[in-house]
Amino acid sequence: MSELRTAAAAAVPSSEDDTILELHNLEKRYGAVQALKPSNLKFRRGEVHAIVGENGAGKSTLIKLLTGVIPRTGGDILWNSKSVALSNPQEAIDHGINAVHQEVVLCRHLSVAANIFLGDETVKFGLLQKREMTRAAQKILDDMGFQIPAAAILGSLTIGQQQLVATARASLRGTQFLIFDEPTAYLTRQEAAQLFALIRRLKAEGVTIVYISHRMEEVFELADRVSVLRDGLMVGTRNIAETSDGELVSMMINRTIEQIYHKETIPFGETILETRNLSGKGFEDVSISIRRGEIVGLYGLIGAGRSEFALSVFGRNPKTSGEILWKGRPVDIRDERTAIGLGIALAPESRRDQGLNLNLPIGLNLNLPIYDRLTRGFTISGRAEAEHADRQIRNLSIKTPSRKTLASSMSGGNQQKIVIGKWLNHGAELFIFDEPTVGVDVGTKAEIYRLFAALLKEGAGILLISSYLPEVYELADTLHVFRTGHLVGSQPFRGSSHEDVLAEAIGV
Amino acid sequence: MTSTDAASAKAIAARRNYSFLFALTLLGLLVLLCVVLSFATPNFMTEKNISNLLRQGSMIAILAVGQTFVIITAGIDLSVGAVVGFSTVIIALLLQAGVPVPLAILITLLVGLGIGLFHGFGITQMGLPPFIITLATLTSLRGIGLLMTNGATISIENDNFTQFATQSFLNIPSLFWMVILVAIPAYILLNHMRWGRYLFAVGSNPESARLSGVRVKGVIYLAYSLSSVFAAFVGVLLATRIGIGNATQADGWELQAIASTVIGGTSLFGAVGSIHGPLIGAFILATINNGANLLNVNSFWQRIITGGLIILIVYFDQLRRRGR
Repeated sequence: MSELRTAAAAAVPSSEDDTILELHNLEKRYGAVQALKPSNLKFRRGEVHAIVGENGAGKSTLIKLLTGVIPRTGGDILWNSKSVALSNPQEAIDHGINAVHQEVVLCRHLSVAANIFLGDETVKFGLLQKREMTRAAQKILDDMGFQIPAAAILGSLTIGQQQLVATARASLRGTQFLIFDEPTAYLTRQEAAQLFALIRRLKAEGVTIVYISHRMEEVFELADRVSVLRDGLMVGTRNIAETSDGELVSMMINRTIEQIYHKETIPFGETILETRNLSGKGFEDVSISIRRGEIVGLYGLIGAGRSEFALSVFGRNPKTSGEILWKGRPVDIRDERTAIGLGIALAPESRRDQGLNLNLPIGLNLNLPIYDRLTRGFTISGRAEAEHADRQIRNLSIKTPSRKTLASSMSGGNQQKIVIGKWLNHGAELFIFDEPTVGVDVGTKAEIYRLFAALLKEGAGILLISSYLPEVYELADTLHVFRTGHLVGSQPFRGSSHEDVLAEAIGV
Repeated sequence: MTSTDAASAKAIAARRNYSFLFALTLLGLLVLLCVVLSFATPNFMTEKNISNLLRQGSMIAILAVGQTFVIITAGIDLSVGAVVGFSTVIIALLLQAGVPVPLAILITLLVGLGIGLFHGFGITQMGLPPFIITLATLTSLRGIGLLMTNGATISIENDNFTQFATQSFLNIPSLFWMVILVAIPAYILLNHMRWGRYLFAVGSNPESARLSGVRVKGVIYLAYSLSSVFAAFVGVLLATRIGIGNATQADGWELQAIASTVIGGTSLFGAVGSIHGPLIGAFILATINNGANLLNVNSFWQRIITGGLIILIVYFDQLRRRGR
């Protein structure tokens, strides 16, 4: 992982006492629970300050306190050396504090321009000046280097482009302090590069950037300083030039980086699944095979057709041509239930939209695929239901007080464990994991990778889809690269360098 | 992490307490209404009036239970009032033609099933929003019923059939026994059978349910079939009570059923609901209407009070959700 580290940001941070915002023993309690323990930190004018930490370490709490979403319970926030209440989001915005959230919180049905000017529309004689706003929005987007048409309806853009629109919106209106929460999770590499260029420009204009990310290489590429949160405690702040990803990770979790990518070599067995020239919506002519004990990685940019391929194998979207062989026998997978019946399990790409029933209990989520097996006669056996859920919670160390807790109240990492956990005792032989570690902290990642190894040992095969190169690179036995719906390259384990794989994916 | 554990443990305890408290509050509200009314008017706490109240409330209560299944899937069934009216026509015509009572009831229920399956078909196969397809049947069923009878009222000459509604068993009106007959299997289905879990799962996130191997379309068919069969059953009960078949009967009952369901704590966004809530909700509404009648309150007020109550109860529920 350390070889991914690029040169530390060149700009020297501005002088020590040029503080724009200071946390003074800032604290947040929920009853007896300390979500943020008394913390002190000075953000300097015009610096990029990264904040790293595992899920649940208190990063979200800190963002919410700074943007006025929740009130603090102790300590002080000093804005330009003056104490500010930040009791509601509008007050934060009025001071010039803004945030770009991980999930896009804009109006999907309105145009890009309407979203950028929402709440601040250009009006003449009581009428909206749409043409004028579209022109102005286009200029803003062009200036930022985003290739996005201002007249387009937001919902018609990719998630990545929507994220850039949200960024454009947040960086207007005299913003002096801009918080990014995992901004690149859904961006293509090109979009990420555009975002980074904007961040550097804002910084040059004196805007303070708070950058929250799980991706270490981004922190090293962008940040001047980095602060680490662990269990609600501000563990420390480092100048980026004086630290390493190894040091940061150990500050975050007290564990070394080699222990994260847990890889065991397991002898391959028979071929479980084979596709021959499989085509469908979003992908064409894909031939791959997966053996028992093998992790087959599918790497590519978002939208390259990997997830569509996986959904087709799982019966969610019909294939248009080609063949699927299950243990050497041609099969017709018409729907999800056929796939599940064969022994295929899918942990889908989006936890919120596809993987979880958020406003239902964890137990129900974990048991959902197997209620037929938990039924005795006509009714569900309450005991079997409870036992199965509790066993999964224990085995996966899902951090919850009870199986009755709603899935929505869990952190990203624990939610991902639920998405995976619901298939574990199902007797599946092929596991498809689509972006299993997006928004998941390092500790949980390591746990998920250990789980992969355990599944392989039991004789399962794994199809691992990821946009995160180190992940597929370290874990996959065979690596396939997707580009615009086609398989453009396939290698056995570590057959080529990171750079080669990436070059294939983006087609240079 | 231990700190978050404690926080969510508290949240769970609070939530569990809350749903218990909510049911208790509803029940308390019902008792309070009864106490106030028994002081306000001597005619309230009479055996005759209470029986009457139970009869009035029973039919809406059964509709509300059916409606609950649909609303838990994040849908809505606007057709139930029309299905009730239509069913009175069907059973009246069947009895007029000399069909034996049990068979006539069975056929009426099957007609209800057919309507529910049609709703399921419209939603899952034609992709129509539940609001639209059930709005369409709301208006067309009334039309079909009127066409079949040429706008006339069919009277039912079968005394055994029409006496049923006035009978009591163990001093409790037979119509209220029908609520129990429906509520117990409904409770078992919703809370102790996997289809109940699937109803919640589909209401919460159909895509996730589908990718977990749940037959989402089947669940939708189930919910709307239950609602329509329950409505047809209420049609049978109404026919015994008024002794006629008329397609314009039960006007606006769908709104009363939805109101009862919502007052009973069911979320119109889906995945939240119970059987006991809508039952209590239906009898709260029935008691208000009954009391207003006894106190000679202008019947127009009853509608206004019902509206106010919906706003009040759902508002308190929202406050609770926000506070969490």
